[in-house]
Amino acid sequence: MATPDQSKGDRSRDEVLAGEYVLGVLNLSERQQVEARLRHDWQFAAIVRRWEANLAHFNVDYDEEAPPAAIFAEIERRIFGPSLVLPSNGPLAAIWNSLPLWRGVSVAAIGMLALLLGLQWASELRPKPDQQLTAELAGKDSAISLVAQYDGASGRLAITPVANGGAEERSLELWLVEGEQPPTSLGVLPQTGQGEILIPDEMRARLTGGVTLAVSVEPFGGSPTGKATGPIVAAGEILR
Amino acid sequence: MEREDIADLLGRVSLRDRAAFSLIYQRCSAKLFAICIRILKDRNDAEEALQDIFVKIWQKAGSYAGNGDGANAFAWIAAIARYHCIDRLRQRKPPTVELDVATELPDLGPDPEHHAILRSEGARIDSCLEALDPDRAQAVRQAYVEGMSYQELAERFAVPLNTMRTWLRRSLLKLRECMDGNARPEQG
Repeated sequence: MATPDQSKGDRSRDEVLAGEYVLGVLNLSERQQVEARLRHDWQFAAIVRRWEANLAHFNVDYDEEAPPAAIFAEIERRIFGPSLVLPSNGPLAAIWNSLPLWRGVSVAAIGMLALLLGLQWASELRPKPDQQLTAELAGKDSAISLVAQYDGASGRLAITPVANGGAEERSLELWLVEGEQPPTSLGVLPQTGQGEILIPDEMRARLTGGVTLAVSVEPFGGSPTGKATGPIVAAGEILR
Repeated sequence: MEREDIADLLGRVSLRDRAAFSLIYQRCSAKLFAICIRILKDRNDAEEALQDIFVKIWQKAGSYAGNGDGANAFAWIAAIARYHCIDRLRQRKPPTVELDVATELPDLGPDPEHHAILRSEGARIDSCLEALDPDRAQAVRQAYVEGMSYQELAERFAVPLNTMRTWLRRSLLKLRECMDGNARPEQG
């Protein structure tokens, strides 16, 4: 595996191997070895990503060719199954699209979260004005900022993402995406920068390798519909 | 073709948004189908591959670390398509004999990643290719576009397999140095 102080020769080898992988000249077993390494060696993965960006210009050599019309239906059948019932026009639609239901669920979830946070962190959240320093680190044109909070008493500096407010306050909401299920809200990150979310007991078993966590920008307090409505600012799979 | 918001669409697909998935298909399927045909050289095989590729895009959208750059988002999708076709191609061919002889490779300078900003190099690759011998530049480009193996490249250019390996590896290192140089004009 590559290390920060890898020798020059190692770097040449890694550059060549990554380039060969992106070009596509390797045989199947060599390709599989590279893919296995990509999963745990982030430095090597960055070299591959760089070759991909460098060589992507060659994609202009490909023309465009419309695939047969039936292909997309076949893809949807493979992903969503043969007897698909869309939430928007199926019998479950009335429940699924029910705003009061989702409002209720959201309020209950936020209430639960607040309660858990309150119980867990009551002492830490209590303001100590002379010891707490806060800074907002805003990215240019970014939907999110980082709030840095320094606790002089403990020496702990916590950095937490929050939604950029602008005219109206916005919230960041964390979602759990499992397989083909619609995303489940894991809660709203507190706007104060005290951004820890306590995962409810019954949800903990679902946070395992292979599921995706995503963060969206939502109206203040979280999505009113129970579905992500705003832009996704970050998403990633939990590694096994 | 509008590609600006493919990154956004991928973000929505990671949240299982079917409408966004359908839009990605509308925007990208013709280009991706052309990639499949070019590499696989068989229309039926290309149709099957295209289905597999879109299933992968659906499954892997969450692993696209979006940075709001539409060109990068399409490059990510195109890479899924090319890699899938190349794997498929290698699977249907009998494995080639391993003839990998350790090649002496010239050393590269210090890792430029600390200096260079990671971004799409756009048209720079073309000017760097021009610095190579025409045969070698053509080998690099054909390997990428058609997904050719070392064996096929050696046959196409009528040189021994190990000669082709040496050509291509040295060409890759020259390209890397050239691209790094372009990324750091203040040090060139």
